[in-house]
Parts: sequence; C-alpha cells; structure tokens
Amino acid sequence: MVELAKLNAGLNDRSRRQARLRESAVSLGMMGPAVLLYTVMTVVPVGVAVYLSFTDWDGFSTASFTGLDNYKHLFDDPSSSDAWYVTALIAAVGTVLMVGLGLVYALALKGRSRSNSFFRAVAYFPHVISALILGYLWAAILGTNGAINNTLAKFGIEPVGFLFDEQFALISLIAVIVWAGFGFNVVLFVAALQTVPAELLEAAAIDGASKRQINLRIVIPMISPVVTVATVLNLVGLIRAYDIVVSLTGGGPAGSTQTFTYLILARSFEGTKVGYATAQAVFLMVVSAVLALLVTALRNRQDQAATS
Amino acid sequence: MVVLEAEVRERPKAAPAKGEDARDTERKEPRSPVRWALLGVLFVIMIVPVYLLMVNAFKSQQDILDNPFSIPLNGLTFEHMSAAINSPQFNVIDGYGFTLFLVVLVDVLCIVLAGPAAYAIARSLKRRTQLVLLYFLAGTFIPGAAVIIPVIYVLREIGLANTVTGLVAHDVASTLPVSIFLFVGFIRTIPVDIDNAATIDGAGRYRTFWSIIFPLMRPAVVTVLILNSIGIWNDFISPQNLLSPSSGHYTVTTAVYAGISQYSTDLTKVFPNLLLAIAPVVIFFIYMQRHIISGLTVGAVKG
Repeated sequence: MVELAKLNAGLNDRSRRQARLRESAVSLGMMGPAVLLYTVMTVVPVGVAVYLSFTDWDGFSTASFTGLDNYKHLFDDPSSSDAWYVTALIAAVGTVLMVGLGLVYALALKGRSRSNSFFRAVAYFPHVISALILGYLWAAILGTNGAINNTLAKFGIEPVGFLFDEQFALISLIAVIVWAGFGFNVVLFVAALQTVPAELLEAAAIDGASKRQINLRIVIPMISPVVTVATVLNLVGLIRAYDIVVSLTGGGPAGSTQTFTYLILARSFEGTKVGYATAQAVFLMVVSAVLALLVTALRNRQDQAATS
Repeated sequence: MVVLEAEVRERPKAAPAKGEDARDTERKEPRSPVRWALLGVLFVIMIVPVYLLMVNAFKSQQDILDNPFSIPLNGLTFEHMSAAINSPQFNVIDGYGFTLFLVVLVDVLCIVLAGPAAYAIARSLKRRTQLVLLYFLAGTFIPGAAVIIPVIYVLREIGLANTVTGLVAHDVASTLPVSIFLFVGFIRTIPVDIDNAATIDGAGRYRTFWSIIFPLMRPAVVTVLILNSIGIWNDFISPQNLLSPSSGHYTVTTAVYAGISQYSTDLTKVFPNLLLAIAPVVIFFIYMQRHIISGLTVGAVKG
C-alpha cells in the first residue's frame, strides 16, 4: 500500500488521468463480452416479448399493433384462467407440502452421521435428474398399464385413473412434483439447522423443555429466515412448471393439468397466436419478478440481521 | 455471500469437531419408532421408482405388465437394453456425446466470460459498475421457458436460428447471472492487498485475475460448474426449441422426448431408454454427492 501511494504521488495530474482512463478501459474490456452476450440473448428477447405482446403477430406475417387487447383477454379467456388456476394450485399446494416435508425430514436428519447423510442423499437425488425424465418414469408407473394399476388388478381392483381422471391427474402431478423437489428443502434446512448453537438446545433441555417444545419454540424460529426464503424460492420455481407436465400428463386429460408455461409454449407452436402467448409470457414474468424481488428483500433483511 | 463466507471460515473449524459431533448426536438421539417410520417411508417412496426402472429395463413387455415389481430370475434379458443402445433412431447414447459437448463448451465459455466480469465488478467502487451487477441480477427474474419464442425471433434476426452456435450463445447467456453473482460474492472475500501486491510486481488486471485470483476462487468455480453442468445436461426447453430435428443434433432429453412420445406404450422401449438417460447423472451424483449438495444449496440460497 505504501509503495502504491508513493507511486501515485510520483505521477503528475495528466498521467494520473490517463491511468484512470486506461483503468476504465480495462474494466470495460473485462465486463464487455459478458454484458454484450447477456444483453443480446436475454434482455433483447424480453424487450421483443414486450413489443410482441402488444401485437397480433402470428409468427409469420408482419405484426400489427393492437394495444392492450392481448392483456384484456388474459383473464376472460377460459383456457387461460384454467391454466392460472392449475398453476396457482400447483405453486400453493406444492410449496406447502415441500416446505412441510422438508422441515419434518430436516429435523429427523439434522445430526451429522453417516446414516443421516445417506438418507439426505436419498431424499435429494431427484433434484439432479431432468424433470422431463422423472415425468416419464412416473407416467410408466402410474399409467393404466403401469406398475401400480397392474398390481391392483391382481387383487381385482379396478384401474385408478392416476393420469387419466381429470381430478386425479392434477393430484398425481402435484405429488410427483413434491416427490422430486422436497429433498432440496431438506438439504437447505439441514444446513440451517446445523448453525443453531448446541448450547442453546442443551440449556433448554436442562430447563426441562421437551424435544417437541425445543423444536417448535427454539429451532424452527431460529431458522425461520431460511424457511421464508425457501418458501418463495419454491413458489417462483413452481409457477414455471413445464418439463414435468410435458412428460407426465401432456397437459391432459382435457387440459386439466395445463400450467401457464405449458399453455404459452403450446399456443405459440400449435396455434398462430404468438402475440397473445407473449402477452401471457410477459405477465408470467411480472409475477415471477414480484415473487423474486420478495426473495431479494427477504434475503437482504436476513443478511442485515446476520451482520448486526 | 454470507453463506460462502461462513463456509470458508467454518470449514477448518468444523472438520476436527465432526467426529465428536457424530458421537454426540448418536448418543442423544433416541431411536424412536416415529423416526424409523419416517425414514422407512422416505426410503421406500424414493427408491421404489428407481428400482422399478432398473428391473423393468431388463424384462419383456409381458413380464413388465404381469410382474412389475418382481425380478424373474430366468426372465431377465439384455435384449431390449442392447436394442436401445444400438437403436438407429433417437439414440440416447448418441445424445450423451452432443450433451457432453454442450455442457463442456457452455461451462468453459461461462467461466471465461463471467470470471473477468465478476472480478471487474467486485473490485470496482464505482456506482455504475454496481449497476452492472444489478443488470445481471435482473436475469434471474426471467422465466426462461416463457421467453424462448422471442429468443428464436432474435436468433433469426442475427442469422443463428437453428444452429448449435445459437443454442450455445443462449445457454451461456442464461448461466451468466447466477455465475457472476456467486463469483462477485466470493471475490469480495479475497483481500485486495493480494491484487495490489500483484500490481506492484507488474501484473496487469487480466494477469492478476487469471494467475492470482482465479486459483483462489476454486470453491466458487466448482459450485458454478456443478450448477451449470446439471442445468445444461437436464435442459429440455432450449435444445428442443432452438434446434429443430432437421439439424441432426439431439441431447439426452430431446432424444428421450422424441423416442418416448412415439413408443409410449412399448415399455420395453421406455424403461431401457430412461435408464440410459438417468445412469450418467446418478453415477455422477453418487460420486460427487457432497460437492453437489453443498454447491446447489449455496447456489439456491444466493441465486
């Protein structure tokens, strides 16, 4: 540091300005390529989406401007509102189950032992496998000719329409999503639980608190910031559900499991309403952003709490 | 950032305490029936689907339908598995090559672009450089699937529609926000004195970054590589939509999609192909388990 200061002192004003300019140029050179690629491939498409959402573009001919028409249809178009209902249900029920199961299993597996890390890995492994492939696997298990229905048939039980009955299909979809995703929360919560000081729990135990009381009154409140962040992360992830819908139910039967993202992509490629589909995409983006901003705000609060 | 810092600081402390800790919890934790029931249910629910996948990949259609759960010792056959391995159409094994190529290329380009950018952002005190970080951060809010059509539109305009270059460009761009965010957080924990020392020794900014700072960033680089590799390997939406079947290139996921949507009732095609698709990831997971779990946790909390 001293050397640097001396070095600086030795320079006159003009060369210092030149040095600063060179510094900025180097800085720009380091950030430039990343900024450029990110702008062209991510930010420009978002701008294009916003533009197309105000048009009736069909994917081929020239787009004509239609103002807010697409947005007006967002809620009075039945297939769109059905998809919203499905998406919201998946996000809400899925998040509650995933966070709940995550907490239960994290409390059971928080100790550092070999068997606990084994069970954590067992809960977690679907997270590294493509959702598309997990969906196909479960489709082969739950289908009318699947393992479960064939076994039921041996006991003379009629096949259950896990994937072919309108109400059952949505339940199956949520169950498979929860199966694939709750292990992530287990791992997240275990990491948080291991930071809870052991002295605190010992003190509570000495004071006569039961294990249940310790968990409910001390442990869970202490990791509540992580639980909140996990809740919103799950919500943000689940409102984008797509791959698993494609492979498990294909949106069916009769559109009963069409999520919003599924609808957007199906419409853009099958139909000709690209303008309308991008309006839905923009709307989904806004909802995502609101939820994601919520994560950032919560995280900032958590960081501040951690530093103060 | 807090998580990363905590991890780095705590690691040496935690290591010696581990053995002691394990004994502690082993002693204190009662072997309650509720706990065993919970773990039993977990084990069955998580493992049975994988068991079915492995067993049924080696059975005939009739055996799969009649006895999905059993292992018919003399009925096991490698026939359908070898048919899947040698299939001329939608071959998952062929998909490995192209998918691995994508993963490696995207990983390398992501590090080459995100590394220096994160370094410049982390070491600058200027307000406008911090705005660049926010600009990248905004990318984490964008649901990739929903904007894939505008991406196709842009690729068409710049003449990269339906090319591998276009797909790679899109994939690299999609990895930048989280990677830069994690890198910036990590570089800020490395003392600036190290950079100054390198400057005095006559190293430029690039040299300082690549030969001094980058080697110190190993934990963050491993995290980013794991996150990106799993993400690209499993990605379905972008290869499916940015490369048409006529391009002749397919990844593991698009091969499975194309194959299974045609033969969904022929379980002797479904199970072997799914097993082939899952095998490399599960082997990688078992091998790298600890790194993957800690890496993805950091990535998720901070991304």
